[in-house]
Amino acid sequence: MNRLIDHTRQLSPPRWTVLPRAVWPLLAGVVVALIAYYLVGPNISGFSSKLMLIAGTNIILAVSLTVVNGFTGQFSMGHAGFMAVGGYISATITYYGSIKLLGTAEFAGGALSWTGSGAHAGPFIGKGDLIFVASCIMGGLGSAAAGYIVGLPSLRLRGDYLAIVTLGFGEIVRVLLQGTPDQVQPWKASQAVDTPWYELLIKLGGPKGFNLLPTYTTLFWVYLFVVLTLIVCYRLKTSSSGRAFLSIREDEVAAQAMGVDVTKYKVRAFVIASFFAGLAGGLYAMDIGAINAGDLGFQKSFDFIIMVVLGGMGSISGATLAAIILTLLPEVLRDLPPVWPAGLVLLGIMAVVQAVRKHWHVKSLVGVGIGTIVLEGARQFCLSQGINIADFRLILYALLLIVMMIARPQGLFGIREVWELFGRKKKAVGSGQ
Amino acid sequence: MSVSSEFILDVRGIAIAFGGLKAVQDFSLRIPRHGLYGLIGPNGAGKTTCFNLLTGVYQPDSGEVTLDGERLNGRKPHQIAAAGLSRTFQNIRLFGELSVLDNVKLGCHLRGRHAIAGTLLRTAYYTGQERAIESRSMELLEMFGLAARAGEQSKNLPYGDQRRLEIARALATEPKVLLLDEPAAGMNPQEKLELRALIRKVRDQFGLAILLIEHDMGVVMNLCEHITVLNFGQTIATGSPEKVQNDPKVVEAYLGTE
Repeated sequence: MNRLIDHTRQLSPPRWTVLPRAVWPLLAGVVVALIAYYLVGPNISGFSSKLMLIAGTNIILAVSLTVVNGFTGQFSMGHAGFMAVGGYISATITYYGSIKLLGTAEFAGGALSWTGSGAHAGPFIGKGDLIFVASCIMGGLGSAAAGYIVGLPSLRLRGDYLAIVTLGFGEIVRVLLQGTPDQVQPWKASQAVDTPWYELLIKLGGPKGFNLLPTYTTLFWVYLFVVLTLIVCYRLKTSSSGRAFLSIREDEVAAQAMGVDVTKYKVRAFVIASFFAGLAGGLYAMDIGAINAGDLGFQKSFDFIIMVVLGGMGSISGATLAAIILTLLPEVLRDLPPVWPAGLVLLGIMAVVQAVRKHWHVKSLVGVGIGTIVLEGARQFCLSQGINIADFRLILYALLLIVMMIARPQGLFGIREVWELFGRKKKAVGSGQ
Repeated sequence: MSVSSEFILDVRGIAIAFGGLKAVQDFSLRIPRHGLYGLIGPNGAGKTTCFNLLTGVYQPDSGEVTLDGERLNGRKPHQIAAAGLSRTFQNIRLFGELSVLDNVKLGCHLRGRHAIAGTLLRTAYYTGQERAIESRSMELLEMFGLAARAGEQSKNLPYGDQRRLEIARALATEPKVLLLDEPAAGMNPQEKLELRALIRKVRDQFGLAILLIEHDMGVVMNLCEHITVLNFGQTIATGSPEKVQNDPKVVEAYLGTE
């Protein structure tokens, strides 16, 4: 039998197909982002578009965490720490960079970053946008570097030790950032211009947080990076590196025996996940206009872990869906809309799917029916007693997780993607091109 | 070429102790190119520990392992696999959630290049390599009669198929020496017959050396040119199947003394 290397060159596709394959994710990202920004954003309420924005950053964070916790089966508990590293780096670059280069930390973006009221008068892409995008990517790279430094020693450990190390990392980052000196306020910008770089880099606001950042993050930028994150993670999953990730999760000893450098691939997954966490941190900071390490403690890390676990450890579409659901859930709980329409729709979809697959699963239908009735009853009870259920959301999350662990320990989708569930035969994961 | 070019695998006096338990003592074995050797012994004799020592799961306390002139001591399991030593496991260790095809594809992983930029940009080299991996994996699956089940999750395969898939996966790493840990365990007599033919075919077609652990004497005595017998970590007999079968120490180890 021939060696693998002999076939590689002769099976390579023609040169001209390479550029489109490499570039289309970026184009797709731009198209989706333009749709989100120009078509969806203006037609929903300001509050809804804000929620959509938060959902976007949460998708990036949940999907990137899937690469570590889902694909390689390692348990990282410090994702918010990486988000903080990236967020502070990009906040620093955007804030002090704007002061140094433009003389002021005021908004200096173009139409794509415009968050103020009314139409934007300036250019399509402003100088501020370039600083902002560059700062987000720098934040990602800085966070990836931190991921490499943390991952290299700790990913040699097995099981719970990694969780402990990453948990510790997140807390160390938080405490260090909270100990930094006050930031140079915007009205003292002239003073900051004369201060050397290295002195500015540590003035990150401490316990008060890093505030009054120019807000560049719009639906355009968020959904551009969401699409890129999704495509990058999907390409990873369906590649030879992705198989290596999954093999580590399945059986580390066998993966090693087959020649997979286990530590190298764990570090690779960790670095990629950290990169996107850092990037999302930048988007988050310039969305709110402030970043405070106190908000990015281990509780925040847990939010992302819950998204990954709910979606299914290793399912990109599952993590995406879970990120959206868990972002919207507190708002939905606040208003308490009727449950039964959603229940009926879900029942209908399940019935259609089961009819198409000619595989009736009566138990699941009855379960959804009873669940709907119970939830509707609970809603009526809360309304009659005047209970604000949103106050109990953390308890509800915990209950949700417990129920998931019992009823569906592999999460909503396991390691499959949504569309793989509707195939006739149960196909195994990762066998796409 | 190397000095010991006649022997592809040269094991000299390796030993390991777990606390006070001397699991393997002074184990030596030289396998010629294309050799088909066997390793037998009662339960707990240290056979699998020998495999673990050879493949780097454990590091030997003393002794030396040389593969095609390369010293393997102190190397990690994946480096030993890269040097050309591949194995199967006694308690099957497939990647259960992955497809049958992906299991074999993972075996091909070792001989490819997996730069992150190429993976994400889907460069010509990357795509060509993926296609090469795919066609090679399908070839292997066809040879092992598993091509029809390529898309199934490997955990859903019947036991005998799982054992064969492990061999296919190990072969995908392009080894020089293949270690098979109880390949016939759990197979019925018909499957065992087929396995014997398959192992011979693998040896001839891939031109590699095979060392196998097996409890089924029919398989071992028929297949192997040379057998080493272990008991309590010590080598008690080596030689041709006929010689080993009639060795009083071997009979004693298996049947006990009066």
